[in-house]
This record gives sequence, structure tokens and C-alpha cells, in this order.
Amino acid sequence: MLTYPQFRPKTLDDLHYHQGLSIRLKSLAASADFPHMLFYGPSGAGKKTRISCTLRELFGSGVEKLKIDQRVFISPSKRKLEINIVQSNFHIEITPSEAGNYDRVVIQDLLKEIAQTQQVDLNAKHRFKVVVINEADSLSRDAQAALRRTMEKYTSNMRIILCANSTSRLIAPIKSRCLLMRVAAPNLEEMQIVLEHVAKKLKFDLPEEASQQIAEDSGGNMRKALLVFETLKMQSPDLSGPLTIAKPDWEMYCHKVADLIVQEQSPARVMEVRAKFYELISHCIPATIILKVKLSIWVPNKLTDNSQTVAERVVERVDEALKADVMHWATIYEGRMRLGSKKVFHLEAWTVKVMSLYKNFMYNFDMADFE
Amino acid sequence: MPTAKPHSSTGTKPSAKKTKLKTVKLDATSEPPGKKLRTSARLPVFHLTGSEHHPPLTPPQQPSFSQSQTQRQTKDVKGKGKAPLLPVQQEDDRLWVDKYEPTIEADLAVHKRKVEDVRRWLSEAFEGGPTGKLRKYRRILGLTGPAGTAKTTTLRVLAREMGFEIVEWRNSMSERAPSHFDNDFKDLDDNHWMDTEALFDKFQSFLKRASACHNIFSESVSQSSTHPRASTSSGQPSKRHLILLEDLPNILHFPTQARFHTALQSFCDSSDVGPPLVIIISDSGLRGENVDDTCDFSGGTRWSKKETIDIRSALGADLCTSPYVTRIAFNPIAPTLMIKALQAMLTTHFASTTEKPPTKDIIEMIVESSNGDIRSAVMALEFACVVTLPVKGAGKGRRRADTSGRGSARAVLEAVTRREQSKGDPPATHLSAKDAAKERELDETLADPSPLPDWLSEHNRKASRVCVETLASDSPIDSSLLGLYIHQNYTMFCTDVDQCDAVSEGLSWTDWIGGHLPSTTPYAFPTLTLSTLHALPTPVPRKGQKVCKPSWFDVRKKEQAAWEGVGDVAGWLGHVGASVEHVPGRWTHADIAVELGGWLRAADRSNNAQLQVPRAHKLFSHLPWGTAGVGGDVLGENEHGEADEGEGEDDMKVVRALRDQEEEKGWWLESDDIEEVE
Repeated sequence: MLTYPQFRPKTLDDLHYHQGLSIRLKSLAASADFPHMLFYGPSGAGKKTRISCTLRELFGSGVEKLKIDQRVFISPSKRKLEINIVQSNFHIEITPSEAGNYDRVVIQDLLKEIAQTQQVDLNAKHRFKVVVINEADSLSRDAQAALRRTMEKYTSNMRIILCANSTSRLIAPIKSRCLLMRVAAPNLEEMQIVLEHVAKKLKFDLPEEASQQIAEDSGGNMRKALLVFETLKMQSPDLSGPLTIAKPDWEMYCHKVADLIVQEQSPARVMEVRAKFYELISHCIPATIILKVKLSIWVPNKLTDNSQTVAERVVERVDEALKADVMHWATIYEGRMRLGSKKVFHLEAWTVKVMSLYKNFMYNFDMADFE
Repeated sequence: MPTAKPHSSTGTKPSAKKTKLKTVKLDATSEPPGKKLRTSARLPVFHLTGSEHHPPLTPPQQPSFSQSQTQRQTKDVKGKGKAPLLPVQQEDDRLWVDKYEPTIEADLAVHKRKVEDVRRWLSEAFEGGPTGKLRKYRRILGLTGPAGTAKTTTLRVLAREMGFEIVEWRNSMSERAPSHFDNDFKDLDDNHWMDTEALFDKFQSFLKRASACHNIFSESVSQSSTHPRASTSSGQPSKRHLILLEDLPNILHFPTQARFHTALQSFCDSSDVGPPLVIIISDSGLRGENVDDTCDFSGGTRWSKKETIDIRSALGADLCTSPYVTRIAFNPIAPTLMIKALQAMLTTHFASTTEKPPTKDIIEMIVESSNGDIRSAVMALEFACVVTLPVKGAGKGRRRADTSGRGSARAVLEAVTRREQSKGDPPATHLSAKDAAKERELDETLADPSPLPDWLSEHNRKASRVCVETLASDSPIDSSLLGLYIHQNYTMFCTDVDQCDAVSEGLSWTDWIGGHLPSTTPYAFPTLTLSTLHALPTPVPRKGQKVCKPSWFDVRKKEQAAWEGVGDVAGWLGHVGASVEHVPGRWTHADIAVELGGWLRAADRSNNAQLQVPRAHKLFSHLPWGTAGVGGDVLGENEHGEADEGEGEDDMKVVRALRDQEEEKGWWLESDDIEEVE
């Protein structure tokens, strides 16, 4: 079993980094009017941890008594939707994207129900209940519109905490109704502190260089760092010998696919790359991730080893003049992928586009050189 | 004690017996219970119950019963009038599928190893294997596989050979429900005599009684279990039966599904080991319109959107992984085996007549188009023998009827690619002089478009011979399937990456405007065709390229299996973590797929006994570079690849040799097929 979740900080004071944020959250929780909130930041930065700490600050240890319910909602077309709901006496946590296209129904029904019931516990510190909505950025437009209205209407009984990776997919009315809380990724030192803290709790001796390596490797994703730590610990109980942090299979795979694209540009190579894409997709690597480009990748004239995805690796390897174009097309095709129905078409269209760009670029370059 | 019918007597009259079976299928309630679903030996108790409670023949039953009788009376006339080809002395007009249903294992077209698997399971279920302890775990057997892969037939044949009885559940029509029993055991219970039970209640009581029925024989069974040798001997009258579920209750309805799962669970959990249960589920295929999963963020949609029955939804996730359930998957029937079976069938059929059996070509064509579905192959063969068609025509007709639309898809695609020769191009070498003349004629009717201005000169093309409008209106397939086929094959017809770029850009664009809903826009098909035509080089190079089936289907199937693995891991994390304050929802399905792989593999290697990681995680966490699996299929050189899988080595060789032969004979499209489509 995964051990690190046991050491998840429970109160705001336990948190190891972003102290300024913790102080602000604490004073907000102490004040009478707690606003709707939107936590956003990269994954593994500690958004959910901060949310649960805030809840504890608001209501005391009662929020830790959780129960898991399965609720059934009925869509307008009489389809039954099962949604897992985690709740305590004071809050309720849902992941509406589980309902797919019918998330509006879930949001409306659930929020209305909660908003119409008063807090029964007389000893509760606050009169309202909190609804935590995970993955808020994958809510459909409909659901977001429904949410917007409910947020205004039932403020007296209910507060909403949204959790999202980025605010760009949320509609403006929601953003303006929430207090935005950015949870940035921890930096290297902060990650090392956390890693050492967990190691100490586990009564485990974590060498300095090992923690540094883990922190560097995980690129600001705390959850990933802890996972890597745990994996390493499982592999060699004392972390002796040279550490090899194995990248996930799919990252290595992506690297090689990117190399294939850059090496040769021909119809036969297109087929080869497609076979690799199929292999990635059939191992549950979402196509949007294959095309994803982290901004941190684009460090001019420096070959970092942080690239994860095919697109990142390609961006790394092509000439400076082409990088913008490669990214431009990645965004175009990612957008189409989200609206279309066959992911592989768009992946391949991007690949071929990059190949074509790269080939023409190299060709012109050679000619210019020649003259 | 009444003795069971000897084997030989049942074996000699298979056809008569099957008539009964067939009638039962038509109306489940019309026959006396004692006769129903009898496959091999008779059991004494059925006689008793049958004679004690003969169900009265009530009006709604009467018509159907008499109808089957009149059918029998008129069939001679019908047989003569309908098909002069059929032998005159032919006595029954049943379809070949039923008439020549295999009765012994040698006749089965299923691979021997599969039959052996099923047989072993059955013998373990009845006798408990070598140690006698396996019986407890051989409770439910799930037979899966595409339609027409002889799942049910295998079971029936084995029932006959091993001498056990099949008790089958059938959903009865609701209007008959009040006063009738829909199973053999109904009438044992007087309380339910007049009840209007819900269908599912009936199912439950069926299951209960079917397993409880065992108790009546418990004496004899315990005897046989003390003398296992005796019970295996073929002469021994059979006391054994198994429950067959083929006609499942409506488990797409959520509450019914839940009750179904609990019913099966309690069936497994019951301390008293009753008869085993066999569930037969036909896989449903994928369609080109199917949307890849739209939601990349969580696997949630996958669970709520399920619309077809598979073994997982039928048995429930818990039961699927429990030791009580064994699953045997049938593959599509290999072409060699099918040809052998069809020829054996023809030999029997034409043994008594002077009629000429259809030629080998026709059989091969039938086998090719059947995609491993032997039922459809037999149907097609019967049709081919009833109506004399010119060899060529027969082949084409069937190719059209190809269920998956594969043949027609190929034809349309060929029309798009091969025909893309513009006016004035030299005639292709493979065309005869006559065809070349025809093309020249066609060229004259085509007017060249007016030349484009300079800045668009790169888009200048000569007039195409393809008429997009006709193609769109005549096409038997929709744009999504065409898109898949173009996507699979376009690279072969391109000489340059820039051309590939234009084609795939067109594909991407069409998919994008098409949106999630299938065929909402009428523009998708023409846009797709035009963009492809525009992008392909002129003239399209001909190097004998072979058009293949899109590997998207296989990949999609693999992906779904892998997502189920992710679901298993998610369930496991939530389940194990319930004690700690680690709740499901912290890990989304996508997170697990992307991030947890390394840890899972390490957990596997560590051999920690406390870590019971679901085995299914390998489906998504192991991704070695250069696996040939998909690569080979992508090239699609082998359309029957799925049929070969799991079959013996020798079979593979034969199939391969056969395929080579077929390719020489032009097993891919011939030019005249395309003419037809255009």
C-alpha cells in the first residue's frame, strides 16, 4: 500500500511551504465571511491538501470523519449516473467529470439539495456547508453556467471550493465570484524538506543527494516526488548505490517517438510513428498529454532533460526558429482533438505537420548554406 | 430406477431431437417441461414432474403449437416448390445451420485446445479435478467471443459426450407470464402458480430451484463422488446437469443488473455446491462512428456510458476477479477449420443427390467474407446452393452483404485513391485496351477547370475522374468509416510528407467539424473525399498497394481493456486505503495511468505479500519500446490475424500459405468491383 498519504499534513500549521498562503487561509477561516474559493495550480502542488487543511481549520476535526456514498442521479434522458461522493457532516466532495456530459444535472441537483438543508449541528462553527468540486476545469459550459447561478443564490447556506489545474477553462463569471488562490509548485528546496520530513517519519535515512535528485526529477510535482521516493525505497531498502530514477515507460517511449519524427520525414515513417501512437493510446496515455508542452521546456539554447511528452521532446530537438511553429500546431490540434471524435487523426496530423515543417526548413537551410 | 437413454440411440436421431430443440426456442412455454431442453440422457425426476404437472394447453399457446405442426405438414410441398436444387426426398426444411449442427467433437470447427479447455472445466466442475477440491471453484464459466464462433454448439456437443443435462433460462414473453411457467421447475412450487411475478423474480427462483434441484440427486451424486471412476464411465446413467444462461435478463437496466449480480454472488457463495453455471455472451464489435473517449481527465465516463453487455457488466467487477469465475474466450473461427467444416457439410448434403456442390472458389469466398462467423458462413453457403448464380456474381453478392462493411469500404476507398488519375494521364499499365479507351472517352467529357491565379498555382489540379457527388450518394459507408480507412492507408499512396500533411490535415479537419455526434453534418463526406483527392499526388503511384483494415478497432479494444485495468487499480487503491484517510477521488483514472506505473511495477518486483496489486495493471503500466504487436497489425497484412491468435502453430502455417495463394488470385479488390460502386 502507498504509505505517504498517511503523512499528509492535516492542519495549515503542518504545511511545509507557501507559508504566506497558509496564513491568509487561516485568517480567512477565522473571519465570519468565508468566500467561495478557487484553488488552482499545477498538479502535485498541494491544492487538495490545502483544501482539506482549510476545511479542518473551518470546522475542526469533525471534517475528517468521512463517509463515501454512491449517489444515483437521473439525467433528462432518464439515464442513471452513479457518482461517488465523499462527505462529512460539514462538507461534501464531488468529481463531476465522472458524469461526463451530464455534469450539469449532477451539479444542479446536488447543490440545490445541499443549499436547501440547514446545518443541523448547533455546535458547528459556521452555518454553511462547503462543497468541494474537484477537476473544476473539466466541467462543461452548461455545468459552469448552472454553477454560476447557484453560487449567487444560496450563499447563506453553502460555500463552494473549486479545485482546478488552470483557470483558463473556467468561464469569467465563476472566476469573478471566487477568491482565487494560486498554489504554485514547490521549488527544489521545499520539495527536499518535505521528502526529508516523510523519510524521518518513516524512520528512514534519505541521503541528501538522493532527495535532491528526486526533487529535480519530479519537476515540481510533489505527489510524483513522493511516489518516486516510495518506488526507490521499495527497490533498494537502503537507497545505497547509484540512484537511477527510472522515468515511467511512457515517457521514454515518447522520447523515442519524438526522435523518430526528427530523424526522418517520409510517408513510411508516418506509419511507424502512428503505430507508436497507437501503442501509447492503448496504454491509457491520454492523447492530450502526448501533445502537451510545458512552458518550462522552452529554455532557449539549453537542452534540459525534463521533457516528458512527444511534443516537448520535439520542441527540444528542433531549431529555435521552428519551436514556435511546432507549439502553435500542437495547440491547434489539441483543440481539435477535444472537439473531434478520433484522437489519433489529430495526433497524426500534428506529426505530419511537424515533419513537413522540419523537412522544408532543413531543405531551405541547406540551400542557403550552399549558396 | 429408470435408465437413461443410451448414447447410441440419441446419436442416431440427431435431427429429430433438434426439431424439438428448435421448437422450444420458438415458444418457450408450449412444450411439456419434461421434454424441454433435453440434450442427452433423461433424468428420472423430469419424468416425474413432467407427468404430474402437465401444463394445460391454454389458448395463447395453441396457435404456436399448431403452427409448428402445420409447418411440418406443408414442408414437403414447400421444399419442392422453393428449391428444385434441393433433393426431392429431402424431408425437413430446416436451415442448414440447424440441420448440420455438429453432434460430435470431431465435427466442431473450434480449435481443439479450446474444446479441451471447456471440457476440462466441465469435468472439474462435476468431479473436482485430480484432487477433487476444484469443484468448489468451478462455479461459473463465462464463454465469450464474437457471434458465430460455436460457443453454444461446443457446450451442447460436450453435453452430449460427457452426458450431462443443460438447463437453460429463457426470458419468456411478459403477456404469458401470469399463468405460465417459464422453466422446468416452476411447477414444483404451488404458491407461485398463479402469481404475476416480475420477470426477475422468476429468474431468481429459477436459479434457486435449478441449483436446489441438485439436492434431489444428492444421494446418487455422493455415491458417484465416492467412486469417481464409476461416474466417468460412459455407460453410467447421467445424474448431472448444468445451468446455462444465454438469454440474460435485461442487465442494461441498472437495478436489474444489481440484482443479477447479487443473485450470482449468492449462487457462488452458497455452501452447498450445486450444478455449475455457464454464461454465454457474444462480444459486440466496435463501429467506426464510435467516439474515442472524450474525457481525458477521468475514467468516470467509461463506467457510466456502457451500453453493451460484456462479461464484466454481466458478472460485475467483484465476481469477475473472484476465483469462482473462469472465462474462456472463443476466437473467430480460423479459415482452414471453417473450410474443412463447410466441405464436410457439403459432402453430407450432396451425398444422396447428383447435384453438383458449389465450387471451391465459392467456399473460399464465403469463408473470406464471413470474418470467422461460421453461422453466417453456413447461411451464405446454403444460399449459394439454393440459387445458382454465376460464380463471379455469387461472390460479389456476398461481398456486398459483408456485415462489417469492410468490403464496401475497401471499394469506396479504392475508388477514391485508385481512380485519382486526372484527365490526360497515361493509362495505367494494368488496364486493358478497352478500359483505356473507356477512360479516354471519359476524359473528353471532363472540362478542365479554369486556371487559378498565380498565387494559388500550387493548388492547380487537372480535372479528376472521380465524381464526388456520385460517390457520396452511392457510398454504402459513412464518412467516419471512410475516414478510418483513408487514415489507415493514405501513406502508401503519397510520395512526400507534404502530401501526407494535406491528407491528414483534411482528416483532422473533417473529424473536428463532425463533432461528437455521428453524421450530423452532410458536408463531412464530400469534404473528406475532396480534401483527400486534392492532396494525393497526380497520378497516384501504383505499386500494388494493398488496402487494409484500420487498426483503430483493435487498438480501441486494447485501450478499453487497459482502462478496465486502471479501474481495477483505482478500486484497489480506494478499497485498501479506506482505513487511512485516503479516499478515492484523490487519484483520478488518468493520474493512475500516467503517474502510478512506475510504483506499480516496483510493487510487483518487490514481491511483498501484503501488496496484492491487481494483476491487470500490466495492461497500462508496461510499455516496452518496439513491441511488434500493433506494428504488425497496423500494416494489416493479415485480416484474419485475430482468428489465428491462440491457434496451433500448424494452423498458422496453413493459414499463411492459404493467404499467399489467395493474394495471388486477387483476393484484394479487382477493378471490376470498383466499377460497380462508381
